Amino acid sequence: MPSWVEFQPFIVTGLALGGVYALSGVGMIVLFRATGVLNVAFGAVGAMGALLAWQVIYQYRWSDWLGYLICIAFAAVLTLVYGLVMGPPLAGRDPLVKAVATLGLALILLGVMDLLWTSNGGEARAISLPTDSITFSVGQILINWTQVLGLALGVAITVVVGAFLRFTKLGTAMRATASDREITATLGVPVRRVEASAWLGCGVLSGLAGLLLADLVALDATTLTFLVISSLAAALIARLRSITVTLLAAILVGLVESVLVPIQSVSNYADMTPFVLATVGLVIITLRRREISTSRSS
Amino acid sequence: MRLKGHGMLPRIVVIAALYLFALFGLPALLSLYYIDSLTQAAIFSIVAVGLGVLVGRVGLYSLGQYAVLAIGAWVAARLLFATTLPYPVVLLAAGVVTMVIGMIFGLPALRVRGLYLALITLMMAGALTVVITTTNFPNGGSGFWGYNGSTVHPAAIRRPAIAAGDPAYYRYSLVVAAIMFILVFVHVRTKPGRAWVAIRQSESAALAAGINTTLYKLWAWALASFVTGVAGGVLAGSSHYLYSIDFPVQDSITLLAVVLMGGAYSLWGAVVAGLLLQLLPALFQVWGVSNDWITILFGIGVLNVLITAPRGLADQVPRDLGRLVRKLRAVGQRAPAPEATAR
Amino acid sequence: MGFRKRAFRFAVAPAVLAVAFGMLATLSTGPSYASLRPSTAASAKSSTSSCGTNPGVKAKGTPINLGAIVTDQPGTSFTDISNMAAAYFTCVDDNGGIDGHPIHYFIKTEQSVPSQITADAHYLVDTDHVIDMVGNTSIIECSVDYKYWESLGFRVIASGIAPQCYSTPNYADVNMGPRYSSDGAAQYAISKGIKDIVFDQSNVPGTQYNVGGIVAITKHDGVKLTQLTEDVPISDPDEVALKEVDDAGPNGAVILNFTPPEALLILQAAQKLGLEDRVKMWGCSTPCNTDFLSESLGSKWNDKLFVNAELAPPDSTHTKTMDLYKAIYHQYGKAVSGGIGSFSEMGFTEAEIMVHALEKVKGAYTVKSVNAAVESVHNFVTGMNCQRWTYGDYSLHIANNEDYTVTPENGKMVLAQGCTLISPLDPQIAAYRKAAGTAPLAPGE
Repeated sequence: MPSWVEFQPFIVTGLALGGVYALSGVGMIVLFRATGVLNVAFGAVGAMGALLAWQVIYQYRWSDWLGYLICIAFAAVLTLVYGLVMGPPLAGRDPLVKAVATLGLALILLGVMDLLWTSNGGEARAISLPTDSITFSVGQILINWTQVLGLALGVAITVVVGAFLRFTKLGTAMRATASDREITATLGVPVRRVEASAWLGCGVLSGLAGLLLADLVALDATTLTFLVISSLAAALIARLRSITVTLLAAILVGLVESVLVPIQSVSNYADMTPFVLATVGLVIITLRRREISTSRSS
Repeated sequence: MRLKGHGMLPRIVVIAALYLFALFGLPALLSLYYIDSLTQAAIFSIVAVGLGVLVGRVGLYSLGQYAVLAIGAWVAARLLFATTLPYPVVLLAAGVVTMVIGMIFGLPALRVRGLYLALITLMMAGALTVVITTTNFPNGGSGFWGYNGSTVHPAAIRRPAIAAGDPAYYRYSLVVAAIMFILVFVHVRTKPGRAWVAIRQSESAALAAGINTTLYKLWAWALASFVTGVAGGVLAGSSHYLYSIDFPVQDSITLLAVVLMGGAYSLWGAVVAGLLLQLLPALFQVWGVSNDWITILFGIGVLNVLITAPRGLADQVPRDLGRLVRKLRAVGQRAPAPEATAR
Repeated sequence: MGFRKRAFRFAVAPAVLAVAFGMLATLSTGPSYASLRPSTAASAKSSTSSCGTNPGVKAKGTPINLGAIVTDQPGTSFTDISNMAAAYFTCVDDNGGIDGHPIHYFIKTEQSVPSQITADAHYLVDTDHVIDMVGNTSIIECSVDYKYWESLGFRVIASGIAPQCYSTPNYADVNMGPRYSSDGAAQYAISKGIKDIVFDQSNVPGTQYNVGGIVAITKHDGVKLTQLTEDVPISDPDEVALKEVDDAGPNGAVILNFTPPEALLILQAAQKLGLEDRVKMWGCSTPCNTDFLSESLGSKWNDKLFVNAELAPPDSTHTKTMDLYKAIYHQYGKAVSGGIGSFSEMGFTEAEIMVHALEKVKGAYTVKSVNAAVESVHNFVTGMNCQRWTYGDYSLHIANNEDYTVTPENGKMVLAQGCTLISPLDPQIAAYRKAAGTAPLAPGE
């Protein structure tokens, strides 16, 4: 068993990892709460944005900021277009069907990314944000501002989005739309415009997350696309509802996963953490409630 | 499947003729390359028909079927290395063990539906995948896990003596697939099938009608896991070597997408899904088209099916073809087409 | 086995790969990715006419059919190797072919699904009528197909990854693969006085085999060895790097055996956490030897990270062979997307050996005559390997067992140590040398 001193750096990286999960988890929940769509393509959209940023920054040698801007703009526009095109025909369907539809988008993007950014010849890509080189020490541990940014952004998004949904007119309209689209429309709320704003917001978040995750995790289409599976664990513990609980759950998942790593006997099972915590959390929730259903029809 | 009584016989004759042709005609006509691909298509159509029971019949969405398939393959491989049991016994055992574990996957379904259920199964599959990655598939080693990582010559998983060659194994897989399809068909046409339909339409109404929803939901999960486990056993023999990297979590998601694309509501849909998953990539390889296009195609296919054809390609293609034929006929006769012919 | 997924190898891909690579040799020190494109690269000095015996005359005889199976899935693609071999063969065809016979080269790609690999092999043999395989580079192909090639009498020339690429009679490789390359990295560390080694690799089939040589070497030298494995794709590189330096200690070395992207992840994480100097030395098996990696790492890794490397460095080597390689790449290598580098060097070398063998065939080009010629390749100077290259009739083949060590310097990989034999303390190396002897060093050109 490692000593407390040896655990310390893992706690720090665990917090950063939690921030990583929170970024995707919160981003997905925001859209889910506003439109009832669990956007599984969240990671794929961000990954493609980050690859575009890599292309312009490292291949075309344009300015870094232009690259970041392109990443976020691409993600925002693509997500918005998807929402505008696919949103209405699927509006009345089960949330599961809507989620599977975004999987279609994820598959398309994944294929396109692998066609455009091949892995021939052992190509490895990486994005380094300027915050990487600004560091400070806590005891023996070097912390860089990208890690801080990851966690801070998770918190900031949680707070801002939470306040937005609660206190602004548009936010209230989003919540209303999510709970019943037809009735909200009858009440005179411009449902389409509200949904479009939610999609746009989700797209911006996926672009931001893609950029940060490309730095913190890896600039790899497959990894980033399916990182949402681990991130979903936190969102699931929060029953796809509370952003605050998602954030806390994400940090918990990141911490537990990280501190298990130095313990040799369980090290290789540390990757199970998100899945096990989500399953256990859901079993407890299910036992306490009679039935959970995301299906409005039932 | 909707046809009853007198319509049934010609249908059975056609299916039997098609099946016999696949069994005896195709191996004579096609090269080993296509026979190998069709073997895999047969195996994955079993997986698809299992998922079809859950999704199409009961309305339970599982995103963990790849992990279930891996369990079946693992159990079969372990038994094939450890014992000299006849192949059918091994397949049966793989099915039964997978059924028991699969029912654990199904327990949340008693309380949860829809998206939540799908995501819980995804989480459980994720955990199971980490275990399989860490322990690896048996390769002739000793001990419970049967894995020896330092061996230079890992043993190949054996096949039944009567089906050692690829064409013979193709027929063997096809026979197993037929048995599994019949098993599912019998369920669908009898009491469990009717109970499942009732549960899918409204669980509370089913409960009110005196249907034991707990029993029938678990039953569906048991059946789906059993056939998937058997498919895993056939898969073990077909590939000789199993790698945990071949059972990633996200493949379960793609599997659901392709099953929906093929059509989760009919047995034909499962056949279509098996062909889409295995034969289409083989054709693309021959045509020199990058496999990335298949990923893209599946993405487009899922969107298309969800929006325009909820019953899947197995339903959409014949219907559209029928429409086209009627239109052509109408143009030919310059007369309005007769109303939809009986399907 | 997934769907036969060509489509689905998503994550798997990275996973698999891992193993994959240990394998692939690399000594690439080329210019950056962008500038490597044929259109923009500096023109080569030598012409391509020397690749055939009848310059300028297109071969029109009955074709000689050869095949290849390579991994091509999201995250891991070895198609550069077969594409470079194809470029070489096209060059040969344009310059007289093999005694007037053109080479028809059939490439099949796979996604690490055993049943799919079996099917591909059947297609090549039954439909394309190939008479031998050259340029195979795949994570599991050797494991799946070795018995099949043996039954047909094919003598395969490959880039090896899986154990069977080195331990069976019918495969011989131009690279060393994960095990022997890791041996080389550990040997270098031990030669610098390291007494504590942490060996970390991806958790994929064959991990214990890959570490087998290091276990024997460290045991003999009294060096403490800690073995780690990581599930790939790695989603928590910071933890991985921290764990490695914790286990190695300030006087130890961390040796990595991962694909280039995964290795880069770990090294970058170490860099961001300031861990470079927490250990005495970092080592890597061959896959780390790419400019992609050295460009992405800062100057702190100069003389800190040492990478085992298997083929001659293209930038600093000025030989006829290297000129021909570059010339063929520029004229015929449009499909080689990774450019000049160890992958395409391997494809070139494999094709070069095959052409050398084919030119020795008397009479008809049959499975028997061609494979007999391949088997009899003896002490051939490839111009790329440290040693002369021999196929021969042995129960195992580690034809390349002597190589370089490189270290990053300002975005390039430069030589840290010249040709060094892999230690016979590794029982597999000892077994091979007992069968085939120690191949002599190749002469300079």
